Amino acid sequence: MTKDAKSKPAPAPRAGQTRRSFLQTALAGGAAATTAYLGITRDAFSKESGPIVIGHQCEVTGGFSSWGYWHDKCAKAAAKLINEGGGIAGRKVELATEDTESNPAAGARKLRSLIQRRKASFIVGSVHSGIMLASIPIATELKTPYFSAGEATEATGSKGSRYSFRTGTDTYALAAAGVPWAMENLGKNWTMIFPDYAWGHSHHQEHRKLIEAAGGKVNDPIAVPLGTKDLVPYLARIPGETEVLFSVFFGALSIAFYTQSKSMRLDEKMKMYSVSGTIEAIDPRDIDGATEGVYFLENFPRPLEFKNDDYHKKFIEMMGVDPVYAKEEGTGKVMAKSHAWQSYENLFVLKAAIEASGWQRPKDTPGVIEALEGLKMENSLAHPQGAKTLRAEDHSGMIDCYMSRVENSKFVLKKRIPREDLMAKLPPRYDFRTHKL
Amino acid sequence: MTAAAINRLGLAVFALFTLAAPWLLPLVVDGFWVDIYSEMLIWSLLAASVNLLFGYVGLLSFGQALFFGMGMYGVAIGVAKLGLGFWPAFGLGVVLATAMAAVAGALAVRLTWHYFAIITVVFSLIFYFTALSWKPLTGGDDGLSFSMPPMLALGDDWELSLTDSTVQYYFIILVVGACYALMGVILKSPLGWAFRTVRENATRASLIGLNVYLIRLTAFIAAGFIAGVAGALFAFFGRYASASYMFYHVSGEAVVWAIIGGAGTLLGPVVGTSLLIVLREELSHAWEHYLILVGVIVILVVIFAPRGLGGVWHALVRRVARAADEDAGGGDGEGRS
Repeated sequence: MTKDAKSKPAPAPRAGQTRRSFLQTALAGGAAATTAYLGITRDAFSKESGPIVIGHQCEVTGGFSSWGYWHDKCAKAAAKLINEGGGIAGRKVELATEDTESNPAAGARKLRSLIQRRKASFIVGSVHSGIMLASIPIATELKTPYFSAGEATEATGSKGSRYSFRTGTDTYALAAAGVPWAMENLGKNWTMIFPDYAWGHSHHQEHRKLIEAAGGKVNDPIAVPLGTKDLVPYLARIPGETEVLFSVFFGALSIAFYTQSKSMRLDEKMKMYSVSGTIEAIDPRDIDGATEGVYFLENFPRPLEFKNDDYHKKFIEMMGVDPVYAKEEGTGKVMAKSHAWQSYENLFVLKAAIEASGWQRPKDTPGVIEALEGLKMENSLAHPQGAKTLRAEDHSGMIDCYMSRVENSKFVLKKRIPREDLMAKLPPRYDFRTHKL
Repeated sequence: MTAAAINRLGLAVFALFTLAAPWLLPLVVDGFWVDIYSEMLIWSLLAASVNLLFGYVGLLSFGQALFFGMGMYGVAIGVAKLGLGFWPAFGLGVVLATAMAAVAGALAVRLTWHYFAIITVVFSLIFYFTALSWKPLTGGDDGLSFSMPPMLALGDDWELSLTDSTVQYYFIILVVGACYALMGVILKSPLGWAFRTVRENATRASLIGLNVYLIRLTAFIAAGFIAGVAGALFAFFGRYASASYMFYHVSGEAVVWAIIGGAGTLLGPVVGTSLLIVLREELSHAWEHYLILVGVIVILVVIFAPRGLGGVWHALVRRVARAADEDAGGGDGEGRS
């Protein structure tokens, strides 16, 4: 991992390496380059010896628990791996996890608990947009770096701060990654259908801007009221000239959308396209082919074969999921892979920034923030999703995205969208470096 | 010692503890509990608003979260969207909640018992879904966060703001204390007795010339005001407003707090809220299904102490006062509350 240096692929593990040496070498791909560049050695950090507490604000129960299960598992795996590799700057990592109950009120309270009671110096935050947006002002006031994992643009936009980061994508990035390819390959006349709340509206607004700028036509949006069970009246409103039906749903409503649109044979009349959040933690085989032929923009390809390297392989082994459907052995739970990787990688991001800045105690946190701004991460066991940059201006992760299509109930990659292409369509709209630390 | 004297002593100890909490609590537990104590006091106001209606007027409302949410959104919209300062935003939150209570109450208090409970849930749901959908104003399901404006600023160099945890704590206890004092005054006034009369028998109350509808509406608006103040305070406390606080589950929690604390006792909601929040804090990070245990405790309290912990306290105080009276050779139960 290097800051302001060009990315280089990390060395692949050689046959005959021991597990420990492989881990050390692979993790070094994430951290050693930075420390070497800055001329800092581990000895320089030996003043404080107690554990570094990293808080994890996680949806263990409630509506997002099918995702939270994976975020929890990812964060725990990362902490274990870091500790096996010698910790952070020689100090053990202690992961303190609090359940948000998928509720902003509880989530905000748990954030205070993590920082004030359990003395967490850094927070790997929630995937629930409402919780993360409730948390950012608190984390900022308590001067604690906070990593969002949800998709609300505001977290690294109008509601962001110098303390707020996100290594994954938001609705702005997802639109920038998916629209150019979808316009070229799926069609130019779009209709968007989504639940009548912020997540859906945010996707609609960001996509519409890019589609119209590229000369496409966006029909009137169809916002489905929350709690709707029968989507047929809303699906019937889709204009006949629609070439691309873009949908954003979650959980049970998502399944209802795919099954009902399939029964209306919409997939035969138009291309169906969505983002990974819609199919996260769902196995296409479990819904009888209802997602067959649907295009999904993923942050991390579900099958191993479409990012076939040892880091990805090792990561899915650690998660205990199969390499095709990402299903956990024993429980049958499907990994929320496009989002949960953030809770794994964010610990390594923090490790790199802490070691680069020489952080010892909370008063040194400004140095960590400066190290995070512009941090470059290489494809490694620390970053199995792939190489990425934490953009200095808006603290947003610039990552590779993957356009996939469900074929025979399996995700099949159609196009890898490199982060360079994404960045070209995604100028920073905020510069948090102007905020005081 | 009379029961009233014991109650006064208890109240004085509670007031002294509350005033000294920022120094006392960190001596025995983590400083984090000062924030939790602030939160308990704010939530106790929501429970107090339920108590005002249920404990004193006999109306079981599951819609108090609506007014709490209105108070929150008034503050958040005031600061984040309208650019208001601290005090105007606070005022906006309270006025919005009170006005909403006046409108909802005008319809709701025509009904009683389960019909009243249902209509309060319906109101709560209508505005919950409205808040979720009205993203440009409310932030939708993402909610609305804001930066804390100063309470008072003198020049460029000096300002008083809730970002200072001590200022925040004392501001909260000042406002919460003022609300309880106001409720105390109302409940001791003829209006307070009219509330109780309506609770005991609305038909008889109307036969002696009381306007039952107007009394219930007054109580409903007063309870909405209290819930709105709580919501406005909580918005400042959390720097955030969200539709999730308007959901009827939040009202349900407040009902449980009021019942556990003791419906029909002024400070019962503080006790109930505090107990359940302490339990939540202690249990929730050890066991994610802690609500099962909370449920068991609620069932036990309802079965063995149907008048809540406030009722248990009053029974104890009466017993102690009677024993003290008998020891002093006194007579006839003087000082019963």
